[in-house]
This record gives sequence, C-alpha cells and structure tokens, in this order.
Amino acid sequence: MSEMPFRDAPLRIGSWRSFWRRFSRRRLAVASLFMLVLLALAAAAQPLAVRLLGIDPLAIDLYGRLAGPTMRHPLGTDELGRDLLLRLLQGGQVSLTVGAAAALVSALIGTLIGLLAGYRGGVLDRLLMRFTDSVIALPLLPLLIVLAAIDLTKLGVPRALADAEGASLWRIVALIALVGWTTVARLVRGATLAVRSFDFVRAATALGAGGPRIVLVHILPNVASPMIVATTLSIGNYILLESVLSFLGLGIQPPLASWGAMLTDAQELIGTAPALALYPGLLIFVTVIAFNLLGDGLQDALDPRAGQG
Amino acid sequence: MTIRRSGRARLVVLLIRHSLSLAVTCLVALAPAAAADALRIGLTQYPPTLNPSIDAAVAKTYVLAMTRRPFTVYDADWKLVCMLCTELPSIENRLAVPFDKPDGTRGVRLTYTIQPGATWGDGVPLTTEDVEFTWEVGRNPQSGVASAELYRRITGIEIKDAKTFTMIFDKLTFDYGAINDFEVLPAHLERAAFSDPAQYRIRTRYDTDPTNPGLYFGPYRISEVANGSFIVLTANPSWWGRKPAFPRIEIYAIENTAALEANLLSGGLDMVAGELGLSLDQAIAFEKRHGDRFAIVTKPGLSYEHVDLNFDNPILADVRVRQALLTGIDRTAISRQLFDGRQLVADGFVSPLDRVFAKDIRHYDYDPMKARALLDDAGWRVGVGGMRSDATGTRLALDFATTAGNRTRELVQQVLQAQWRQLGIDVRIRNEPARILFGQSLARRRFTMAMFAWVTSPENVPRSMLHSSEIPREANGWGGENFPGFRNPEADALIDKIEVELDESRRAAIWQRLQEIYAEQLPELPLYYRSDSFVLPKWLKGVRPTGHQYPTGLWVEDWRRGDAAAAAR
Amino acid sequence: MIRFLGLRAVEILVVLVIMSFVIYALIGLMPGDPIDLMITANPKLTAADIVRLKAVYGIDQPLMGRYLAWLRNILQGDLGFSRLYSQPSVTILLPRLGNSALLMGTSFVLALAIGLPAGIAAARRPHSLLDHAINFACFAGISVPSFWLALMLILVFAVALGWLPAGGLATIGDGGFVDRIQHLVLPVATLTLASIGGYTRFMRSAMAEALRQDFIRTARAKGAGERRVVLHHALRNAMIPVVTIVALSFGTLFSGALITETMFAYPGMGKLIFDSVMGNDYNLALAGLLFATLVTLLANLAADVAYAWLDPRITYR
Repeated sequence: MSEMPFRDAPLRIGSWRSFWRRFSRRRLAVASLFMLVLLALAAAAQPLAVRLLGIDPLAIDLYGRLAGPTMRHPLGTDELGRDLLLRLLQGGQVSLTVGAAAALVSALIGTLIGLLAGYRGGVLDRLLMRFTDSVIALPLLPLLIVLAAIDLTKLGVPRALADAEGASLWRIVALIALVGWTTVARLVRGATLAVRSFDFVRAATALGAGGPRIVLVHILPNVASPMIVATTLSIGNYILLESVLSFLGLGIQPPLASWGAMLTDAQELIGTAPALALYPGLLIFVTVIAFNLLGDGLQDALDPRAGQG
Repeated sequence: MTIRRSGRARLVVLLIRHSLSLAVTCLVALAPAAAADALRIGLTQYPPTLNPSIDAAVAKTYVLAMTRRPFTVYDADWKLVCMLCTELPSIENRLAVPFDKPDGTRGVRLTYTIQPGATWGDGVPLTTEDVEFTWEVGRNPQSGVASAELYRRITGIEIKDAKTFTMIFDKLTFDYGAINDFEVLPAHLERAAFSDPAQYRIRTRYDTDPTNPGLYFGPYRISEVANGSFIVLTANPSWWGRKPAFPRIEIYAIENTAALEANLLSGGLDMVAGELGLSLDQAIAFEKRHGDRFAIVTKPGLSYEHVDLNFDNPILADVRVRQALLTGIDRTAISRQLFDGRQLVADGFVSPLDRVFAKDIRHYDYDPMKARALLDDAGWRVGVGGMRSDATGTRLALDFATTAGNRTRELVQQVLQAQWRQLGIDVRIRNEPARILFGQSLARRRFTMAMFAWVTSPENVPRSMLHSSEIPREANGWGGENFPGFRNPEADALIDKIEVELDESRRAAIWQRLQEIYAEQLPELPLYYRSDSFVLPKWLKGVRPTGHQYPTGLWVEDWRRGDAAAAAR
Repeated sequence: MIRFLGLRAVEILVVLVIMSFVIYALIGLMPGDPIDLMITANPKLTAADIVRLKAVYGIDQPLMGRYLAWLRNILQGDLGFSRLYSQPSVTILLPRLGNSALLMGTSFVLALAIGLPAGIAAARRPHSLLDHAINFACFAGISVPSFWLALMLILVFAVALGWLPAGGLATIGDGGFVDRIQHLVLPVATLTLASIGGYTRFMRSAMAEALRQDFIRTARAKGAGERRVVLHHALRNAMIPVVTIVALSFGTLFSGALITETMFAYPGMGKLIFDSVMGNDYNLALAGLLFATLVTLLANLAADVAYAWLDPRITYR
C-alpha cells in the first residue's frame, strides 16, 4: 500500500488553462489519462461489441474451450468457450466500477468527516481524529475478510436485498469504502483547518455567512485539489485490493467476473492457457499504473510548487 | 562533478551486479540435494488435530492412515476387510451372533481378535484394555468426539482376554461387521488426559505431545510436526506388518494449488495426494505437459456431485420441472469436455461402480426438445425475450448456489446456468463460502438449488439424505441431511428395510426399487461421480486410489520404488 | 513527555479493549459456527452429535457471555485454546510471529536500503531521465497484483531455472542458515518489489521539498559542496517525515503478508489470522488481530515520538 505524500497546506485550483498547461507537460500522465479513457470506453462499449461480434458473452461452448485467436474470437476463448475479449471488457466494467465507486464513496465519507472535524474543531475534532487514527491502526486485510464474511441477514438487512443482483459488487464497494476513507479525511481536515484561518474566510464569517455556505463556497474549492489527487491514486489501489479479495474467494459472483477474479481462476491453468492469465494480469497492471501516474501528474499540475526542484 | 557522479553510479551498478550474481551462485551451489530416502507428499490442507476421534478433517485421516489402522475398512475393491482384527465376524463363522430383543428387533454380538503383533510404538502391546478405554471416551458426551454414533450403538463390550473381545450392538444391520470408525486410543497414555473428560480435547497427547511413539501402531509414526506447514513420519519399528519401503515420509501442506504444482515441478515434492490435491481439470492439464515425468491416476469415486432441489419452492415442487431441469443439461458433454471423460455421469445416488447399483433405472439423456415440452406441459410458457413464465405472470426464475471459491464447481455451475437459460429458465447464481452454504443455507433449508457432493462409503444407506425423518427442522435441532425435504412413504419404508435385511439378493431388490423412485422423483439432480486425481512420480508403484472416504495411506506399506529400468524410462 | 506517554498508553489500552469487542462481535456475525464447519467434513454427524458438540465447545452460550469469559481469561494471561490447531494459542502464535518478523523485517530493511537512496537520487535531479525511470519503476512495483508477481517468481526461479525452492520455511532435516535464506529469497523479493515504490516516492518528495528550502540556497551560496548540501543539510530535514512514515509502516510488519505467505506456503501471521478468522477460531483470531493492532498503535506512538525528537519545534507536555 503506497502512502502518498501531501502537504497539509490548501491550494486553490488555478485557472483551468494554467492547470492544463502544466498537466499537458507531464507526458506520462497525459498518456495515462488517454489510456484510462480508452479502457473505460472499451468496457462501457461491451454491449456494442457484443452486437458487433454477434456472440453472446455468456454463451458457453464446451467444444470450443481454450481456443486460440480466430476471426470470430479475436483473443480466443476461455475455459468454458466464452469469448475472451468480451469477457475482459465485462471484467473491466466490474474492476473499474469497483475501483471508482469505492474511491468516490471513500472520498465522500472522508470529506464529510474531514470537513466536520476541521471546521468545527474542538472536542468533535479530537474525537473524530482519534477515531480516524484507530481505523488506520486496524490491520486492513484481516478486517476486510471478517467484514466480507459477515452474514448481512444477521444484521437485519432483508434477505431480498442482501441477495439482490449485483449485490456482491456493491458489497465489495461498501467494504473497501468503510476502511478507505481515512486518507481523505485527514487531508481534508488539515486543509480545512488552514483555510479556516485565511482572511477571506474570516471576513465571510464576520459578514454573517452561514456555516454551510462558508464550507461550500470557500472551503471546499480550496481543499479540492488534494482530494482529487488522493481519490485518483486510490482508484488504482482499490482495483488491486479487489483482485486480492477475489484471490481469497471473497470477490464477485459468477458468471460476472472482475479482472482479479479472471486472473485468480487462470492461475491453475497457467501452463496450458497462459493467455487467460496474461490478459487480465496485464490489464490490471496497466490500469493501476495509469491511475498512479495520472494521480502523480495531477498532483504536480494542481500544486505548482511541487516537483520544481 | 557530473563525470564523478556518473562514474560512481557505474561503480555502484557494477557492485550491485557482482554481489547479486555472487549471492545467486552461492545459493545455487549450496542447495542441498533432496533426501533420497524420503517420500515427499503435498496436501492442500493441514490437519486441525491429530487426535483420531476429535474433529473430522480429510487431512488428519490421510496422515493417521499411515500411523494407525482401523479394525475394519473398505479396501480399494470396496470390500470390507480386517486390518487391526484377525478375522471379520460373520454369522457363518459364528463370530457374529444375532439375538432377539424384547421389542421384537434383533441385536448382534460381534467377536474380534486384535492382531497378535499389534504394539504401540513405545513397545506397549495394544490390548482389549485400549478398546474398552476408547469406548469410554467415545460415548462420553463431554469428550468432544465428533461422530459418536458408532460408540452409542455399542451397548456393551465383553473382554475375553488381552486380545479378544465381544461388542454388543442393539441393532443388527446388513453391514454388521463394519466398525470402521472405531478409532482405538492408547489407554496407557491417554487415560491421564481423560481424567477430566471436558478437558480431553485440550489435553490429549495427540496434540500436546504428537511425536510420542506410543500414540501410533501403524507402519509409520509421527516424528516431527511443524504446525501449519509439515509433518514428518518415520518407519515404526514396532509395526507388525510388511516393512514399508520408505524410511521417511514428509507431508507438506500447500494450500494454493498453483503453488502445489510449482513445487512438484521444482522437485520440492514427489507427489500430490488425490484425497486433497489438484482439481481434475488442473491434473488433466498438468498431465498434458508433464506426463513424461508424472503419472496421473484418476479414480471415479464415491463423491456424488449433485444439485439439491428444495421441494418447498413451488416451482421445484412440480416433478415435471425437476425432470425438465435434468433433461435440459448435457452431463455427458460436461464430463467429456471439462473432465476428459474421467468422471462417471451419475444416474442416481448409487455409483455405477457400487455392487448395489441398479442398471435399468430411468436415465436422462440430454434432450432439450423434451425438456421444453415438459416445461410447456407444466404451464411455463415462453414469453418475450425467450424466458418462461406461467399464466399468472410468475417468471420461471431459480437461485442456484454452490461453494464459492471451488473453481471446478463454479465452472460446471456456469455451464448448467447457460444450458438452462436456453430453455428459458432464468437461473441466478448465488454462491456462498462453504461455511455459509453448509452451516446456514442447507442446514436451515434456506436455498432453492444447491450443488455439492456427498462423500460416502460403498453400499451406504441414504437414510440421512432421503428419509423423511431426516428433514432438518426446528423440532430435530436442524439435524439430518434431507435438505430437499423429500417425503416418500415408500422410500422411507425401503430405507428402514435395507438396513436390517441380511439376505443379499433380497437387499438388492430393495436397492433397485429405491433407485427407481429416486430416478422418477428426482429430489436431487444427479451430475457425476467426482474423480480424485493423484499425481505420482513415474517411479512410485503400489498406490491404489480407493475412490471412497478411506485414504490410500492405509496401504502405504505397499508403496514401492519401481525398478531402475522403469525409473529410467 | 512522561505524561504524554502515559496518556497514550491509556489510550492504546482503551482502543484495544474496544477492538477486542468489535472483532469478537464481527466474528460472531460471520455465518455458521465451528460445528457447522465440521458437518461439511463429516456428513455422518447426527443432530444429537451437533447439539452435544455445541455444548462441549461452549458455542450454545450467548455471544456477550462468551466475550466476557474470554476477557476474564485474557486478563489472567490466558490467550485460550486454538480450536483450529488444537494447541494453546500462544504455542501457535509465537513461532509464527518469529517467521513473520524475519520475512517482513528482511524485506522492510531491503526496501528501505534500496528505496531511500533511489528517492534521494531522483530528488536531486527532478525531471531528469533518472527521475522518470525511478518514478516509473516505483509505480510498476506498486501496480502489480502480488499473487501474480509471486507466481511469476516461482515459475521463473523455482520451476524453470530450479535455483530456489518454490515455497516452505526450510527443507525438513536441513533448516541450516543457508537453507533458510534460500527459502526466504522469493517471498522477500515479492514483498520488497511491492513496497519499494512507496518509500522511494516518499523519500523523493520529502527530499525535493527540503531542497527547495531557503537554507539550502543559503548553504549553496556559501559555497558548500553539493554532496555536503544534499547529504548533510537537506537529508537531515527530509528525514523527519520519512522517519515518521517508516515508523508507521513498521506497525504493519507483524500483521503479515497474507498473499505472499499463501503463495509460498510460508507459515506467518497473515495466513494465521486469515485461517483463524475463516475457521471461526475465536481465540486465535483475537490474539492475532489484537497483537497486530497493538503493534500498529505502538508504531504510531513511536512515529509521534520520533517526530518530536527530530523536529525541535515540537514539544510534548
């Protein structure tokens, strides 16, 4: 797990143009962004690809297992004779959705707690930050395992809801977000504390602006940049985390599969069908590294002081 | 300065490169040659305990098979044989004597004689005192013995002398001679641990002092234990039987099967046990690549893979739907394409290899047309999108669970789902970890369709699976394994009769009828009999997979190195 | 300072007690209990057996009562009996701790030994080819799924080349120094490759920040040698946040590396905690998880102390 360095000082996002000028200088970050957009589009276009290729992505062909690339199956077929390309695209939907959704939800929770602690201060701040520290102190993976194995019906969640279609996906998102919000919370709190003491905020308070208004208009825009960077970086982390959960058998329900689940399933057949492991492994690697590079680039572009040397 | 810096950088790189290659060379040069006299076996599990009576894990059964022997057991030909006893009791040889009970049923007195040479590893002879002690432990409700059924059925033990004893059973069943699960314990070592029965499972010397030679009397004894990683067995000098060929056996627990495979290839392991090893499709793939070095032995066994159907579900309560479900899946293709034809397609709960298998029962060939007709007939009409619903608009939708993380089952499950979908049945997969599936969903009958396996022994009476008294419910403490909720008075009567019918031909007729009912009614969808796959080095001879719950290690003294010529080939 | 430490100690204790209850309750929320799991392995268990065994193992009692009983025992120094291994939890825990410390410690030291110099090198020449190369390598290391990396290392170095063992702690009957090292190489490599990136990037950013400071310019203006500027002035400042983060990550060392341990069949804490949680082994899971939490909390404390010690502007009263 990488811990990214952030200063607690708040930074206003400068004008869009100057941001873009700085960002576009980071060629790796731009390439990453391009790559990610491409991957997301491809994953989103899976239904279109289904129509184009004219194959049912779930259709099983026991007599065409583990086939090599053909015109009909550009990347060949998997161990049940399903089209590998379509399956990878669908896996991309799951992996990217889990990563992005978990990052967004974490950011939301983290921002809320961070703002509350930073803006209110005092006892509430101390309590919230102790709580955050405690969550950070928890051993992450074992906790996720315990949480993943919990029987929701024992908690009073209706069985229909606990069993609903796609529930396994949202369960994973919720799990990750439950332990992932701490980074953003700390960042936002630090930034809020600093912004609060700025003259323009003091002036606004003196002029009688209400709390919510100050937070929305003055503080949020000022803490946006570290938040964006942290969230971008965490998407990559969460995609990796999801693959680990899949490896442990706590992932998503078949016939849906994430890249991590596909990779896990493929390891037993790695000698016979290396392609089955190669593609999802490569896609995870490329996606995660792209998110990291993008986050890195965003940080430099949003925070002109960093990386000048 | 630039020059200096790059010069230093180059030096560092050189240094690193040198030290790395030096380290690698050292490590390679110093790699010790593997001990030639040891047989190294890989398992995917480590035994939770080594006490023979407590808990019931396959890994434990596997290890203990080499270090201890049951009185009786089914051999690789599925015949009941004596191991620790000298002669199997039968009514013919007068060692089994039935008697009438006041309530009109019959009990039986069985006389066994312990092998004269049977001696615990510390030189203390194995006697009837141990047998008595074992019974005492087994029937004590606090001792933590997992399956106490056998011990409870014994109403008394009479001691003739140090080696001969008579057990009295209150029920005379056709398999009366089998006391396979009677796991004799060393009284001289365990009695102290049993002084407080509630503490026995904590104080048993099998776990506090597992390398004590006195705990074992088989061809091997446990000489070294590393919790969670390996167990070393060494030849037991007090063993009465044939001397085993390998002075040492090392059993390693490696959970990840990809890593298990890598260990085989790198020479860290000689073989992988079929009882807890590679999945069949993994073994088949392995054979294709490494068939020159390893022999893959597969044996279709008594692991009956099937889909339980919950009769409480109104859709599944209709026998036409159940028959359509089975007619609509191509089990032959699944077996041939996924498992290289090495798993027998099942027609019922009795394996085709079992002597009580009925050949001419109803067989369901893959016939999608017929399946469609059955569904139409049951009122499930094809609607928009090709999916079916009935006159009231209820969709033909079913949930389908199996053990999450079991790749083979999940593969088969997806095939079934796809084939059913083509008939217009909307099957949704809801897999759960084994602990939830068995502990909750099945035990509390909160499932619709569930795929899992029964692992049984030959001629196993399906009382707990099919008898209506074994339907789990509040009243019986959610016991029993008739998860579908199958109620059939005739089947109940047949099961009751089978158990006490001693005449083999009359029993065969009852078995026949029971299988007919099962095939008509389909409380479960039979899929196939799972094959265990043993990965053995070419030079290892004498390993005979049993196909049932009793492991190969019970005959470990027959395992040999093949001759040099065979090894060279 | 003493007051501060005392307060923190109390705080750690409180967190531990709360954690123990939370974990106990969480495991209680997991479906099925140990006896249900036993049924999976043995279909011959009858309903009567199940009722009897639940009483023997005490799981017919309500959760709260079991927790309080556990708490009483723990206060008397009794960690309880591990159902999964049929041993006292301590007997299982201690060797695993040692194994984990060895594995994680080695990779920790290695990652620092490579990561920190690499980070400094990158920071000295920002946006140079070297900087970009290091940056990219860091992200590459962070971005590989670790079970995939482990599998690749096994396939290359154990299967294809046959240089190193594919897994395990040591060769049975050998267990000498060289043998143990050989078994450590691949798991340590997996862990190190995955963690180098984080340290490197942190060091780089701290160093870059330090090099931007005014006093560095002053030092340079005074004609101090570049080497002295970097190693003496800048490094000392940059180390403040780095030491903090290093101390923090030290806390995760003892909770183990589940994936690496699984792939290499290495008996460490990560696998132990995972198995005990999955196997519903309350005593062992609690002991393992609480120990991991304790170490993390202590590491946090150490980080705070180190921060105060390095940065003279901060004092704790």
